[in-house]
Amino acid sequence: MTDKSTDVTPPHADGDLRAPATREERRAAKRARRFENPWMNPKLYWGAGLLLGIVALGLLGRLFWDMDSVFTGANLLKLPPVGFENLRGQAGTFANPLGTDGAGRDMVALLSLGAPNTLYVGLLASLIGMSLGIALGFTAGFVGGRVDDVIRVLSDVMITIPPLLILVVVQSVFGDVSLTLMALLIAGFVWQSPTRLIRAQVLSMREAGYVQMARLSGASTPHIMFREMLPNLVPYLFGSFIASVTTSIVTAVGLEVLGLGPQRVPTLGRTIYEAIDAGALIQNLWWWWGLPTLLLIVMFLGLLLVNLGLDEVSNPRLRKL
Amino acid sequence: MNDLTPDDPVLRITDLSIDFPTAKGVVHAVTDLSLAVAKGRRVGFIGESGSGKTTTALAVMQMLAPPGRVTGGEVILGGTDMLALSEDEMRRARLSKVSYIPQGAMNSLNPIMRIEDQLWDGVTAHEGARPAEELKRRSDAVLESVGLPARVGRLYPHELSGGMKQRVCIALGVILSPDLIIADEPTSALDVVTQRHVMQTLKDVQARIGAGLILIGHDMGLMAQSVDELAVLKDGVLVEHGTVRQIIEAPAHPYTKDLISSVPLVGGPSFLDAAATPAAAPPRETEAPLLEFRGVTKRYGDVTALQPMSFALTGDVPKIVSIVGQSGSGKSTMGSLMLGFTPPTEGQVLYEGADVSKMGQAAALDFRKNVQAVFQDPYACFNPFYRVDHALKFPYRRFGYAKSDAHVQEKMEEACEAVGLDPALILRRYPHQLSGGQRQRLIVARALMLSPKLLIADEPVSMVDASLRATILKNIHDLKDRYGISILYITHDLATAYHVSDYVIVLYQGHVAEAGPPREVIGDPQHPYTRMLIDSIPWPDLDRGWGTPSTAQEDAERLDRFARETRTVMRGGIEGFTLSA
Repeated sequence: MTDKSTDVTPPHADGDLRAPATREERRAAKRARRFENPWMNPKLYWGAGLLLGIVALGLLGRLFWDMDSVFTGANLLKLPPVGFENLRGQAGTFANPLGTDGAGRDMVALLSLGAPNTLYVGLLASLIGMSLGIALGFTAGFVGGRVDDVIRVLSDVMITIPPLLILVVVQSVFGDVSLTLMALLIAGFVWQSPTRLIRAQVLSMREAGYVQMARLSGASTPHIMFREMLPNLVPYLFGSFIASVTTSIVTAVGLEVLGLGPQRVPTLGRTIYEAIDAGALIQNLWWWWGLPTLLLIVMFLGLLLVNLGLDEVSNPRLRKL
Repeated sequence: MNDLTPDDPVLRITDLSIDFPTAKGVVHAVTDLSLAVAKGRRVGFIGESGSGKTTTALAVMQMLAPPGRVTGGEVILGGTDMLALSEDEMRRARLSKVSYIPQGAMNSLNPIMRIEDQLWDGVTAHEGARPAEELKRRSDAVLESVGLPARVGRLYPHELSGGMKQRVCIALGVILSPDLIIADEPTSALDVVTQRHVMQTLKDVQARIGAGLILIGHDMGLMAQSVDELAVLKDGVLVEHGTVRQIIEAPAHPYTKDLISSVPLVGGPSFLDAAATPAAAPPRETEAPLLEFRGVTKRYGDVTALQPMSFALTGDVPKIVSIVGQSGSGKSTMGSLMLGFTPPTEGQVLYEGADVSKMGQAAALDFRKNVQAVFQDPYACFNPFYRVDHALKFPYRRFGYAKSDAHVQEKMEEACEAVGLDPALILRRYPHQLSGGQRQRLIVARALMLSPKLLIADEPVSMVDASLRATILKNIHDLKDRYGISILYITHDLATAYHVSDYVIVLYQGHVAEAGPPREVIGDPQHPYTRMLIDSIPWPDLDRGWGTPSTAQEDAERLDRFARETRTVMRGGIEGFTLSA
């Protein structure tokens, strides 16, 4: 391309300097700005907002609500949310605005402890899994040879093993586990796909001109890996991270709903397990299982929106003008 | 201009305008273009990337990629308004009225279908089901017309060579005898010998069916040998249109003049102005040659990329040594061996007497400091994450030249100015904000800043637009003349090698066909392969013959024979470089 043809100056660029007159033009200008700066993405904002809402729920609950009412028998049993009546004809009270569960635990306290816990397990498991994946993926792609073979076969084998099956066995042996231990166990099953993704990217990037240039410049291997290649992988890493958070939460909730996982720490999955176990469905105690489900939906929606937003950031072809 | 627009043109384009809305405003890809293509005439569209030549051709077939749209004008093909056709009418018109031969035929054929099935698909899509024997007869006939035996029809694309695949694409384009054929750089991925063969085939078939032909390209030489009329496009505007003789012999527009003068000719005037007193090579501590190959062989599995080769470049006097060859000749393998990126299968690559593949850390850094490169693809050479400064700053610091930030900055600005770039406009920018030409010059500036003893330039201008090639080669040549850097210039372009180099090595399939000073090797070739290469180059000279389809075919067949004989013709030596066959 010639020097001139790249600097395409649109003939009516001067028109853009004027304040946009009509609503149509304003909207077009906004779309164009969004196209230029991909981080200004409504999907990303909404998704991040929903996730921060979960975190805020935990913080505000601890600040403004009595967390002691999360213990068994702290309140009346099976109270409905405000404005509803339960089968025994008891009306909801403002002392327990979202009602109580079968053991008299306050739902507000239960949810504002449980929801962030579930998110925590997902984030921690994914963080550990990603770190493992980055390290293994880079090593496999960059070192190659025998090391690559081992890592590739290992991750391919691991990807075919259904994680829930193994975890059910492991957790039944462990009995009660802490949230962190649970995250660690799940992390053992979410490193494979980031490993494969990064390995593939590194393999193609290794031949890129700028990596050759860096080698010519006498760059060390760590420099090439972390200063030249990694920054260009950031969008992929973000996307992969969010995807594995989703997987981790699904796995964690799946285990908890089966009654496995942490026994004494409130989580959304555990709450649903107890509701099912106590026959909340036939007793029409909908708030007991419905509210945690609602929060899970909010969490997944948030993650999905963030993922879609990041997709548009890293793939300009998805952006619409 | 009356002779250019006869009464019954196959294609008449009137005031065609095409816009591409983008975030930064509307880009006018084509503005008020008017042109007519007569029956049986060949019209070339020439211009640089982004000049709107492909966009115009695609508009004829309603195949513009969104968000591009036609904003005005009309396209009449054989009496039908192409822009008014519905989706389905257009589908029926494609191939039967206007056919398109795309760039890079390698990717245009379905890899899991036999050639004849792909040809039959075109026929049945337009004419409905046909008896098998009729289809077979027609596909055999059309393959024969492009010089391929009928048995090719039973083969799959991967069983064909690049030139054969491109000829299959031509067969596909002419099977329904369209009124107009649009060929978009049909030979850009092929070497010169095959290019000549494919181009001659295309001309021959087109003349036989009497269709109009639009040939899109950027190579003035190829145009001169292939078309009757030439349309020069620049930034979406038709700047000049006339018969090819008229344009080449008396170009009116300054841009056309630029295009013509930017093509270097063997034996023609040089585009370099030689320095009166070339700079001396940097002082050297050892007696050992700067770079030495000792019986270096490189094999990839069963394929031998480079036959045993030995040479020594002393580096006492700066020299430019060109390594010329077509794709697959092993020239890039040589570059990669010299840089120590790939180890040789046999033999040794020595830098100042030390084996490149067995160097310690300190020696390796010293080797990197003194052996630098300019690569082919200026778009890939910059990390998109960093500003372009990074590519210059990082090695300068790494090699310990930098005294302070201000010192680095000053050096960068100096280097930019030396290659004719304005540092204020270039530095602190991101790579995507610069054009290919600017990037490649910046890479040359980087080489200059590091002042190595040896620079390996691997096809430094093959991805840069024609008008900038001479400038960049001049910059590289200056590195030798002004800064005393020895250069190994790897290229497929004999004409530039003729002008810039002190010594030329012609490689074919990993062995040296001919070597010596350029005036002898390229000016008066002795080896039949070199002679054939030079004869196959299309020159922008209308009176120079380019052979006929049958001689082109013969030459393409002779290539195989050259692969088997490994005779080397040595044509005298120069001081400071010795090649032992």
